[in-house]
Amino acid sequence: MDSIPSQETDLVRRIASGDGDALTRLFDLHSPVALGLLVRMLGGRAEAEEVLQETFLQVWMQAGRYEESRSTPRGWILMLARSRALDRLRRRDARRRREEEVSEDGARAVHPVGTDRLEAVERSSRIGVALGILSPEQRHCIELAFFEGLTHSQIAERLQAPLGTVKSRILLGMNKLRQALSTS
Amino acid sequence: MSAAHSTRLEELLPAYALGALDGEELRALEAHLASGCAECRRQLDLWEGDLEELASSVEPVAPSETTRRSIQRLAGKGGAPTPASARAARPLPFPRWAALLAAASLLIAGWSAVRQARLGEELERLGAERDQLARQVSGLDQQLGLARAESQRMAETLAIVTSPGSRAIVLAGLGPSPEARGHTFVNPERGKAVFYAFDLPGLTPDKTYQLWWIEGGKPVSAGTFDVDERGAGSVQVERAPRGATDAWAVTIEPRGGVPQPTGAMVLKG
Repeated sequence: MDSIPSQETDLVRRIASGDGDALTRLFDLHSPVALGLLVRMLGGRAEAEEVLQETFLQVWMQAGRYEESRSTPRGWILMLARSRALDRLRRRDARRRREEEVSEDGARAVHPVGTDRLEAVERSSRIGVALGILSPEQRHCIELAFFEGLTHSQIAERLQAPLGTVKSRILLGMNKLRQALSTS
Repeated sequence: MSAAHSTRLEELLPAYALGALDGEELRALEAHLASGCAECRRQLDLWEGDLEELASSVEPVAPSETTRRSIQRLAGKGGAPTPASARAARPLPFPRWAALLAAASLLIAGWSAVRQARLGEELERLGAERDQLARQVSGLDQQLGLARAESQRMAETLAIVTSPGSRAIVLAGLGPSPEARGHTFVNPERGKAVFYAFDLPGLTPDKTYQLWWIEGGKPVSAGTFDVDERGAGSVQVERAPRGATDAWAVTIEPRGGVPQPTGAMVLKG
């Protein structure tokens, strides 16, 4: 019997050859996690649903470009969704900066995406266990980069922390994650 | 041809996969990946695999019925475009005029979908160019800010070192790094000090150097510092002792520093 990733790879191949049933099947399998990721990143449900539709339009149009050797279908879809969400966040950030520049009172806009921790993660899940071994600072830096698309310098500015500290928190945190994921 | 592998650049891969790299490091790594380093490309795929786990860690959210219907239409279950290969296999259960009308609708819808996708790609390309420019501007802003901060820091340092009441303390290398040395300049009037270290060995990422002054036999932390590739590092001490001190020293401690020294002493004076 084929493994789950191999069955899903077959679905992507079928989508590339124009099989609509395969697209709905893949949508049913992965849209809840993809939408969860988009809601987490963008905050608003309506915008997240819109980006989810764009993501699956991209899956439909670009299934032929999927490379099995580089990621699982789930990973590919989640990275497409994340990339689209990051585009939205950057546009939003640029707009916010422009608005701040012209605002007379100079009050800082509240960032729309919270930096809350992954409390929703099931403690028993593999990634939940892996995240549990990170220090709160390491986890916070990784979350800011992954879910909000901030760079080292932007994180240092946001946290008012030295750039070198932010870099080592991310490097050590990612290494710990790798270690925990490979042993769990 | 595959480029020579670099462990220094390999260390940047986790941050690159996260999208956190910027500035010179980003340019260097992208150039290295573009030059075809197969090992770094392989490592990058592994890091992206780990991030897939992170992305999956969110609470799943069921899509709305509207979104689901929209995908079904896209997949050809609601009258929207179905690619030619799939359409050809299906019998047409309608009269000829209805089939022609349906085919025309499918062609129009298909053309719209392709056009939408092309426009989407074009928008994506323009968006990427705009983001690239925004990053460059942001990088220049940061450089300007850093240059200003550095200039201010140098002015403060000069004021401490050249003040008539300042005194200089020379720190000599101990045990693990006998060739290392350090200088502390204390300005008791301003209650400030600057410290410079030379020829100290680099540390692992979980360790840092910590500067102390010893007053009445008790060590007081003056801050932590890292050294560059030449072994040089510095600390600007904002609250330095105004009175006499027994000694100044540097120890190796866990990153972030500790309230009391625990590690090996490498400089003292």
